[in-house]
Amino acid sequence: MAKLGIHDLAVRYGKLTAISDLSFTVAEGERLFISGPNGAGKSSLLGAISGAVPAAHGRIEMDGDILSGLGPERIARRGLSMVPEGRRIFGELTVQENLMVGTGIRRDRAAVADDLETAFTAFPILRTRAQAPAGALSGGQQQMLAIARALMTNPKVMLVDEPSLGLAPKVVDEVYDRLCSLQALRGLTLVIVEQSSTRAARVGGRMILMRGGRIVADGDAAGFAAADLLSEAYFGDPA
Amino acid sequence: MITQHRIRRRMATTTPILLALLLLAFVALTLALGDRAAARMASETLIRVTLVVGFWIFAGNSGVISFGHAAFACVGAYVSAWTTLNPAMKATLLPGLPPALAEAHWHVLPAALTAGLVAAALALVTGAAILRLSGIAASIATFAFLAMVNTIWANWTPVTGGTSSVVGLARYVTPWVALGWAIAAILAASLYAASASGLALRATREDEVAASASGIDQYRHRLLAYTLSAFFCGVGGALAGHFIGVINPDGFYLSLTFLMLAMLVVGGIGSLSGAVIGVLAVSLAVEALVRLEKGFTLGTTTFALPPGSQEIIIAVAMILVLVFRPAGLMAGREIMLPARWVTGRGTSQN
Amino acid sequence: MSLQLLFDALSLGGIYAIAALGIALIFGVMKLVNFAHGQFIACAVFALILPSTDAVAALGLGLLPTPLLILAILGFGAGLAVAAEALVFRPLRNASPVALMVGSFALGVALQNLLLVLYGGRPKAISLWAGLVAPVRIGPAEVPLLQLIVIAAVIAILLALGLMLKRSRLGLEMRAAAADFGMAQLLGVRANRVISGAFALSGALAAVVALVMVAQTGVADVRMGGQIMLIAFIATVVGGMGSLPGAVAAGLAIGAASALLQAGLPDAARPFRDAFLYALVIVVLLFRPQGLFAAADAKPRV
Repeated sequence: MAKLGIHDLAVRYGKLTAISDLSFTVAEGERLFISGPNGAGKSSLLGAISGAVPAAHGRIEMDGDILSGLGPERIARRGLSMVPEGRRIFGELTVQENLMVGTGIRRDRAAVADDLETAFTAFPILRTRAQAPAGALSGGQQQMLAIARALMTNPKVMLVDEPSLGLAPKVVDEVYDRLCSLQALRGLTLVIVEQSSTRAARVGGRMILMRGGRIVADGDAAGFAAADLLSEAYFGDPA
Repeated sequence: MITQHRIRRRMATTTPILLALLLLAFVALTLALGDRAAARMASETLIRVTLVVGFWIFAGNSGVISFGHAAFACVGAYVSAWTTLNPAMKATLLPGLPPALAEAHWHVLPAALTAGLVAAALALVTGAAILRLSGIAASIATFAFLAMVNTIWANWTPVTGGTSSVVGLARYVTPWVALGWAIAAILAASLYAASASGLALRATREDEVAASASGIDQYRHRLLAYTLSAFFCGVGGALAGHFIGVINPDGFYLSLTFLMLAMLVVGGIGSLSGAVIGVLAVSLAVEALVRLEKGFTLGTTTFALPPGSQEIIIAVAMILVLVFRPAGLMAGREIMLPARWVTGRGTSQN
Repeated sequence: MSLQLLFDALSLGGIYAIAALGIALIFGVMKLVNFAHGQFIACAVFALILPSTDAVAALGLGLLPTPLLILAILGFGAGLAVAAEALVFRPLRNASPVALMVGSFALGVALQNLLLVLYGGRPKAISLWAGLVAPVRIGPAEVPLLQLIVIAAVIAILLALGLMLKRSRLGLEMRAAAADFGMAQLLGVRANRVISGAFALSGALAAVVALVMVAQTGVADVRMGGQIMLIAFIATVVGGMGSLPGAVAAGLAIGAASALLQAGLPDAARPFRDAFLYALVIVVLLFRPQGLFAAADAKPRV
């Protein structure tokens, strides 16, 4: 059974259709990139899966449980976590407090303490600045904090929206480095919206290209970079 | 060829006409069918139309709720009283009035106009400060303004009579007088709404950032609407005072503020028609509730709602409207003639 | 003389700070300006007495021994606020901030008139802890014992609240929700729990204000919520909407200003003290519209 299944998803904002007839599945442990031009509906897709945005139509399920229709709180409790665009760090809370916000849904305090230690080991800067207000961190550090924070909910599936936004390339390298090792460590299923398809190709994984609210291609990320499919998706005629 | 834009413009101009006719019919009907109590209700309702339409000119177009408009009504009522009351009375009751006012003995019409102008001037001065604040903070500031005026009025006894009522105002407000002012208010509101300033202000209501990026000076337009709005509230206050003949600072404080807000919410803050319909709907409801509070006899027992239940029922109704139909009865739409009627008979569709 | 003034300022400012906190708490979490807060205070006052229209009130809950009385009234305040949230504000949860504000105003009117129906419009005399107005000598000043207790209570409450917000789970979730409600939800924070918690706290704080007002004035009047609520609002705006330390600081400042004006104004101008206060506030807002303690990014991001 697929870890995450999207069936006939449609998302509308008033009269504007952001996503229509979208269907795909994600296997456990997979690393899936969603790419495409602006307005393709990538963020809306993650928004719908995480429950932040209501779906007009369709079904979203994880491990066979239906997620669509539940609010973001309950979806997070089921084990799906989201790192939204722009990080959305709680600037006035300390770094450690940021990490602890999501742990309210967990019962096992020992496991929480272990996870906190893992976060500090994976991102040493967080340990150093644990008691500092999170707003004082740099962009890249905040991105790492946002990822670590989402991991503190002990998710099975994690969505990451535009992790490279506003970050220098070297910093992005580091972010992806940590993300991938954490994925391997925890057997996470990752869905990442990544504007730069070359970056996605370099990190490696499966890629779905979206355009105009629909899927136009689905395959190996590295393979796309080679073929003309990318410019087709970005600049070609609408399907 | 007539464009869609022109058709809509013509349709929009029918709104004030239709509203005026509606109110005319309302007056004619109540006077024809009802008793003196009904005539009183008609006058009251039309005075409220002036007040609430005035209120709408600002709140409806800017999206900022002002809690202070009752203060403008208060000022207007007292200005009209000061300029029309018998100087002999003023000498005894209001010894603190400056000589110019103490001796004034004007006709009611210039008095009413002055009432509006003074209220507008006050709005200009205070609005200059208050309207720089963002929406919610501005609302709170208007609340402070209301309280400030009420405190001053309740304590400045030599000039305002303090908490005792000022009596003896000339009771010239018949349903027709009230209707006249109500129509004037509706016309002014329509003109403002259709003006460049009104349009610009409504743009800021939707999205402040986008509007300012388009070069709209939100502050200036808000100030204009606020001042114009205060004029009609000032006049409305004068009308209210001369209707009952007795004025008191408490009558222009929280109860009036609540009533005006209820009317705007129930009718729909988004349109002028909403304001008018809201006044009619809530006034009729209030009338019914007042009669219930007075009590009616069924057989040998008298049923009466306890005093205060009227406001509770209206408050609950307001909350229900906000939950289930937040845009109000008119849902932001205006009453106007359908497109077919304004393009003339026999014109084919484009 | 100035020592007396200091105590006046502190106790008045302290109560204003508590009142402002009640409003700032709820605004922070759900961007709601709760115009019914003054009526929560008034209802808590009237909870002490049995419903009747007599001029002298018969104590109801007010008969309980002091520790139980305090708990009962605090519980009443919290319960009333939570009920208001469930019945009025939760259905409006996704409405515009303006609709929420107007809804809270309507709720306030409904509550005030409910008190009118149950208790009549005449102010009632309540004798609560009458012994507390006895003056205590501190240096050259004679300070009512009640003032000292109020100051001590305010300090204790502020400390307890600060501790709760900083250390407890609910406090953490409330602060996160106040910073970014949607993000908190994405991390599994239960919106209903956080909001009900904020209302419960706000209601309890309202009850504290109620107890102090009754002890100070000995009167229960259906109109009593109004004036202090206005000051609380103003303190919240001046302090920076949603900033808890700002609300406290502004409450203290306004209390101090009020006490100073009361002492310094000539007799003829005394009744207008409040008008001066409101005008002063508008002037402050002129120069610093976002309030004194607002976050640097108080304007919407473009």
